[in-house]
Amino acid sequence: MPRALCIGILLALLAACGSNNAPPANLDAAFPPESGGTMVDAMSGEPSGLIPMIAGESAASAVASHIFNSLLKYDRNLELEGELAKSWDVSPDQRTITFHLKPDLKWADGQALTSEDVLFTWKLVTDDKTRTPYGADYKLVEKAEAPDALTFKVTYGQPYAPALDSWAGLQVLPKHLLQGQDINNTPFARNPIGSSYYKLDEWKNGERISLVRNDHSVLGPPRIDRLVSRFIPDPASQFLELMADNIDVMNLNPIQYARIVPARPQLNKRIALYKELGNGYTYLGFNLKHAPFDDVRVRRAINYAIDKQELIDGVLLGLGEPIAAPYKPGTRWVNPQLKPYPYDPNKAKQLLKEAGFEDHDGDGILDRDGKPLSFEILTNQNKQREMSAVLIQRRLKEIGIDVKIRVLEWASFLGRYIKTGDFDVVVLGWSLSLDPDQFSIWHSSQNKPGQFNFINYNNPQVDKLLEQGRLELDPDKRMKIYHEFSRLLLEDSPVVYLFEGYGLPAISKRIRGIDNPAPPAGIGWNSEQWYIPTPLRRTEISDR
Amino acid sequence: MMRYLLKRLFWMVPLLVGISLISFLIMHLAPGDITTTEAAFNPKASEESREKLRKLYHLDEPVIKQYGYWLERMVKLDFGNSFASHQRPVFWEKQDEHGNVQKGLIQDALPVTLLINVLSLVLIIVAALPLGVLSALYHNKPADRGITVFVFVGFAVPGFWLALMMMYWLGVAHNWLPISGLHSLGHEKMGWFGQLWDYFRHLAIPVFISALGGLAGISLFVKNGMLDVLHQDYITTARAKGLPENTVVYRHALRNAMLPLITLLGLSIPGLIGGSVIAESLFAIPGMGKLFYDAVLMRDFPVIMGILTIGAALTLVGNLLADVAYAWADPRVRRGVMH
Repeated sequence: MPRALCIGILLALLAACGSNNAPPANLDAAFPPESGGTMVDAMSGEPSGLIPMIAGESAASAVASHIFNSLLKYDRNLELEGELAKSWDVSPDQRTITFHLKPDLKWADGQALTSEDVLFTWKLVTDDKTRTPYGADYKLVEKAEAPDALTFKVTYGQPYAPALDSWAGLQVLPKHLLQGQDINNTPFARNPIGSSYYKLDEWKNGERISLVRNDHSVLGPPRIDRLVSRFIPDPASQFLELMADNIDVMNLNPIQYARIVPARPQLNKRIALYKELGNGYTYLGFNLKHAPFDDVRVRRAINYAIDKQELIDGVLLGLGEPIAAPYKPGTRWVNPQLKPYPYDPNKAKQLLKEAGFEDHDGDGILDRDGKPLSFEILTNQNKQREMSAVLIQRRLKEIGIDVKIRVLEWASFLGRYIKTGDFDVVVLGWSLSLDPDQFSIWHSSQNKPGQFNFINYNNPQVDKLLEQGRLELDPDKRMKIYHEFSRLLLEDSPVVYLFEGYGLPAISKRIRGIDNPAPPAGIGWNSEQWYIPTPLRRTEISDR
Repeated sequence: MMRYLLKRLFWMVPLLVGISLISFLIMHLAPGDITTTEAAFNPKASEESREKLRKLYHLDEPVIKQYGYWLERMVKLDFGNSFASHQRPVFWEKQDEHGNVQKGLIQDALPVTLLINVLSLVLIIVAALPLGVLSALYHNKPADRGITVFVFVGFAVPGFWLALMMMYWLGVAHNWLPISGLHSLGHEKMGWFGQLWDYFRHLAIPVFISALGGLAGISLFVKNGMLDVLHQDYITTARAKGLPENTVVYRHALRNAMLPLITLLGLSIPGLIGGSVIAESLFAIPGMGKLFYDAVLMRDFPVIMGILTIGAALTLVGNLLADVAYAWADPRVRRGVMH
């Protein structure tokens, strides 16, 4: 009996001490914007440090983007605008770019932010001792100078069109704190001082990072006082935390988005779902050095034989788009005339017949010169890619191609197969940068081990366009170049574009001021304008 | 006894070198290294910068030479620094020339893993002893069957599934316990009792899940030990003397039945520093399992080797401790060791 009593008391205690954050009833009421409050989100990984050029992983850039500023940034429609820079001019020979900084910029510690800091950051990122993978863009600068505190000037050897994009990507670091330090191994990485909306408040190893409003923010104050990012590696746990109202923001997967949330009215009352264009696409890539993938008819046949809509419906539950060019849909770089290869198995069979593939021995598998048309699709442990491979396997079987699937651990996949070029077909993804330059992915010179044209794509016309595109700074002329490039790429079909999935953020309804529907830049573009009305704030975490 | 101990300790050295060599070689059998995984598919990252890294970490040299470098450092008890971009020390905190202290990775991850494992081991023993004794006393009766079914269900239920169910039921549906993490957001502002209570609430599900899986082994061990002992002549003697049944069972039988348990506990020492990747990921606990798993995925060789070496050393020490404790507890064994 006493034992039962103990358990009873324990349960009662547990219940009594459980944080009781029942949602307030007026979640749907309108509230005027106001400052204050804490927003909690979940991240699956922990940053290794908060100097973005050193850390490299997405978790680091997500946090660092709240702390540091670049010279330029992308606005809601993905056009460049000034961030630290007030304006910028390009010289007539297109080789020199002059940035004019906004006056009276300050670091979070109150020191002045000047063009010396920008110059210092450029020196860091191009220094051979700096262990950064991002130096290449900035090494093209022949001369960088800071003639006065508000002017920063860079001169390139020849015009370099992706330059502006690269200056939107380089976050400026404070010279007065980092000079003379080893940037690869400095305590600054765990205790950064920046210039943007927030500054670091606390970093609890393995648990969370808290940011607090920076009163010296060069872009003006944000509305929300504190941002807390909890590290929760497992997506199922993240979702439970969202259901329990312990976090405000997370990215959902298609099943959670399309099935689980809509089926729960309680959850629906508290959570708003958003949909934004993703930043990457999934593709099926051929090793163009291996027969029969050196034959464009075979590649096209496989492209026709794959039903992209089926993949989108099956893998993404409809939450994606088919693409015909390697650019973000809706941006100017997408050639509107291009359409994805339609699903047409008959055309596929006909093309394969032209290439010499027929079922001579009657075993249901096409063959040429006695060799069956059979290959292995390699992919890594990624559910969406695995599922895509299975659907593709079935469609190809229907036209007489025998496909096996092999799923590999990431490092083995890269080290053993991609780097050595020892593969036939892969299912992988590319993320998309906002600059249209894709020289490193498609140019024929980029096919050495470890480089990114590992499928060995080689088309002299495409090479030329890629080279031209890098030299052309005029957006309209540049657009024509990349439209033509996309057309050739689609024709050659070195990869089959499978789909581009949407980003699917779920955000508690206590967070207001979110742009819906999402603009091209995604909902996060104005997160400093988001606010939490006082009656909706969490009760258990009052402000310090 | 002393000579025996010294001999055992001496032989641990070549054993450790052998274990570490084999671990090192196997680790290098897996394709790829840190430079394949870090910024692997970032089109802005150049192959040149990766070559630079490979040279810096001696990854371009033969494996056996790399092992030499590692051993050279280990002799000085230097576990090295992680290959990851934060380059934190693998084991314990280090101070650089500017006086900045960097905490070690294992230093950060070990306490929480140790805490969970010790708590769950204590919970296992506290639960397994009465369950095992009851099973033995009511051998083949409904009580015994019920206990056996219970511990085996606990053993067989997939831990991650049960964890998710408990997280949902206790955390979402009833809001009694936190779902993941170690500290609530307002932890710093609580009093010491509040902080302790906060820890307890966060650790309740992880410790329970971890203990449930280990219950079957130990309780059956106790049960079988008790069954053996209860049929011994000296138990009959004790009963014949007219001792109360409780004294017979707990003083005479259980004490003897617990001897083999000492070995088992010794062997579980290395397990105390190992965490479960799945549990730690689910509960968002930054422990040893996640540290090791991430290091393997990243090919962060110094971290992998550091954890493996500590694990190997603890296994050897655990074995030794078990043997010594056994000798201490059982005079028959002690005499065997002396000669």
